[in-house]
Amino acid sequence: MSTADFNSRVLARVPRHDFVGRGDELDRIVKHANAQNGRGLLLLMTPSAGCSELLRQAYDRLFNQQSDVIPLYYAFTRHETTAVSAAIEFLQTVLQQYLAFRRKEPALCRAPITLQDVLELAPSSDLEWIEPLVKMYERIRFSNDNKALVRFCLGAPQRIPVRSGKAFVMFDGAQLADDLNGSVVLGAELLRVFGRSGQSFVIAGLRRQILDSARAAESNFELLDLLRLEQLSSEEAHSLVDHVALRSKVVLSREVRDLLVQQFDGSPFFITNFLHTARDRNIALNTYLDCERLYVDELLGGHINHHFTNLLEEMAPHIDKRVRLIRVMWEAVAGDEKSASVEGWRRRLEAEPAEFENTLHQLHIQEFVNWTGAAVDATTGSQTWKDYLRAAYRLAINADPRALVVAETIADSLKRAPNTMARHYKQSDRIDLRRVAGTFDCQRVPAVLFDYRAFSKTYKGMDEVELQAQIASETNLVKLPQTVHVASCYAFDSASRKAYEEERCVVAHAFEDGIYTDAQQTVWLIADLESKLEVDLELAKSWFDRLDSLARQNDFQRYRVWLISNEGFDEPASDLLRQHEAFCSSKRQLEILIQQIGATLAVQPAPVEAADEFLMVVPMGEENELLAASAVEQIARRLTFPPQAINQIKTAIVEACINASEHSHSPDRKIYQRFRVESDKLVVTISSRGIVPTNVGSNNAHLSKQESSDAVAEERRGWGLKLIRSLMDEVEFQRVDEGTSLRMTKYLRTS
Amino acid sequence: MDISTGATVKSHCVGTTAIVYASDYLNKLTGEKIERECRRQLDSGCRALVIDFADTQLVNSIGISILLGIIDIAEKSGAQVVFSDVNNQTIQLFDMLGLTRHVALAKNEQEALSTLSGFNPMPTLH
Repeated sequence: MSTADFNSRVLARVPRHDFVGRGDELDRIVKHANAQNGRGLLLLMTPSAGCSELLRQAYDRLFNQQSDVIPLYYAFTRHETTAVSAAIEFLQTVLQQYLAFRRKEPALCRAPITLQDVLELAPSSDLEWIEPLVKMYERIRFSNDNKALVRFCLGAPQRIPVRSGKAFVMFDGAQLADDLNGSVVLGAELLRVFGRSGQSFVIAGLRRQILDSARAAESNFELLDLLRLEQLSSEEAHSLVDHVALRSKVVLSREVRDLLVQQFDGSPFFITNFLHTARDRNIALNTYLDCERLYVDELLGGHINHHFTNLLEEMAPHIDKRVRLIRVMWEAVAGDEKSASVEGWRRRLEAEPAEFENTLHQLHIQEFVNWTGAAVDATTGSQTWKDYLRAAYRLAINADPRALVVAETIADSLKRAPNTMARHYKQSDRIDLRRVAGTFDCQRVPAVLFDYRAFSKTYKGMDEVELQAQIASETNLVKLPQTVHVASCYAFDSASRKAYEEERCVVAHAFEDGIYTDAQQTVWLIADLESKLEVDLELAKSWFDRLDSLARQNDFQRYRVWLISNEGFDEPASDLLRQHEAFCSSKRQLEILIQQIGATLAVQPAPVEAADEFLMVVPMGEENELLAASAVEQIARRLTFPPQAINQIKTAIVEACINASEHSHSPDRKIYQRFRVESDKLVVTISSRGIVPTNVGSNNAHLSKQESSDAVAEERRGWGLKLIRSLMDEVEFQRVDEGTSLRMTKYLRTS
Repeated sequence: MDISTGATVKSHCVGTTAIVYASDYLNKLTGEKIERECRRQLDSGCRALVIDFADTQLVNSIGISILLGIIDIAEKSGAQVVFSDVNNQTIQLFDMLGLTRHVALAKNEQEALSTLSGFNPMPTLH
């Protein structure tokens, strides 16, 4: 058997450099192991967030470290049916991994060995404790005292002599421990045994279940640390997709990668399984259509289907009850029932109270529902779960033809994809108000940053250097409060979910001067309004009224409304807000405020690699549209276009670039340009990633030159397309999965 | 093409008329600078504005929308606006977007000043 080197892969399934997105958590577990302060670490996992590989990576690092910490990893599986069999398996694992560590033989961890083999492989210095342990185990095993047997097996790590090192046990999938049959509730027993062992340990599992078990075991929370494991961030999930796709040799486009991350909400479990299926079936994922076809296959018969079907079978083993459960669940989801009656559900499921409570508990643990007392909310599950549920309902209850369900689910997923990405791009492009408000800590900042009209009058159009200098010399300052809590407005008024997009509107509880008294307590209600122009009176009033009403509903004694919009507020809107002592700022003011208080902006989109050889790629903004205009001027000259036509092409390109920058919410902030020279024409294609504008597609794909000038006059900032159409001979939006691709043609007229 | 954006907007006054010079590229940034300068001139008592486009090679729609805003501001102040030395391509764009309906065009600065003296909106004081 091979000997370990520093980077040996022992239990991990992927090499360390391919393990992405959980670096901090990995460090924390290893640090916890090395501290050996006798504390437990509860790893509280969001469903499908995935923690097994994290624990296996931690195991490998500790194994390769070869210090006095002896890593032991045990994963509960659905194959174990009783607490006793799981405990016996644990004992076997402990001895096997102990020997592997002591002998520095990673392969021993995976070898199929028996207890007899353990005795033969054990170094003589270890036989003095392993032999008695095995003998005692044989005796207790046939004593018919299951509780004693379970405790004995779980206590095995404590029997390792101190001179050999300190055991560090990591339990994975602990939520499964409570589902085992028999007289012993293993999850709680685990916490009891290890909580009193004085050894450091990790128990990982579904967050709601683990906390319930800890309470049931009357654990001493003073001796427990908590580590929450959420879904991966977008950046981490992108990296995961890239790594898995590369490893699995799956071809996929950036658009599909980003869609996968959003559609699976950053779940490593779903992302990894999905890409493995693409690998197994040798499917390239170049377009949304490729992606959604495979997604629906997965939903109706692949990993996703098995995952959810297994869970439902555990919750409702009998087919008729399972079908009833699917019906009740889907109807609640489809009806957007946020607060259904628990008793109503029980009657519809025709279940006995104890059985029903168990089912509801399982649904709650898996976070398919939120169960609080007499009410149950079935609308909170992931989109993947809802898609599965809907398909299961249509097949099992409606008895719809399978082909119809497949076709319509693909169509629905495709229709949803651009919206999913649009929502994500808007969110990424937006300043994180929660973070900004959370940074308020009694800083003094120029008052003009909260008064758009005053700012506009003094600073609009001012050179940047001069602006910064003058802002720095402002003497009229306001002191920000100290924020103690920030949450979305939605959290305070769930009935208005649609009005309050998560990060666009927040409530910040704070104290003036950082003094914690009733008199100093204040609440800031902050909203970021979407408007291309200065916000008008109507929009400003509707948002002020909405936030004012929210403050009154929640009985906020002192509060301040602060509205923000990209381009600020027109005069009537500013006057109204001033009358109500509300603040209003443009995005520029907010950016300056952020510089002043040191908060960081929203997550910056990751850069893209260089484009292919036919593309000229320029970053959005910074007048970079001029670079494109210069390039096309050179090309057009070669084609001997007359000066007027060259100017028209340049202007059209400038407008196309501005449109792309202003309207796309592009994730990479790049404009891709293709110039194609043909004998009698120049074809220019300007593309960007991001949101698909609503006017693209259907009957607007080929644009007419006729348009009402009156309508345009009302919307001054909507002139770009009108100009392009007037200046170029052919203008066409090409179909792309996301963003826009505008193809413009100018003919060379020789006459 | 060698286009750069100046940090400040050049301007000078002839009597109560301010002459403001647009730069080579009229966009949001340079448009706002012109707007700022025009506001400043109006606030300091100017009764007419000449915006000179002699250097302007390229304009975009946002820049044009800001010009319309300047015309609105001037109207509210009772001031006249004339655009001078606008090249043919730019005039074509102004036409397309209806800007030429709201403003007088002059070949150059001198013609603009002559045009304004013809209007003479200020009453003669005795």
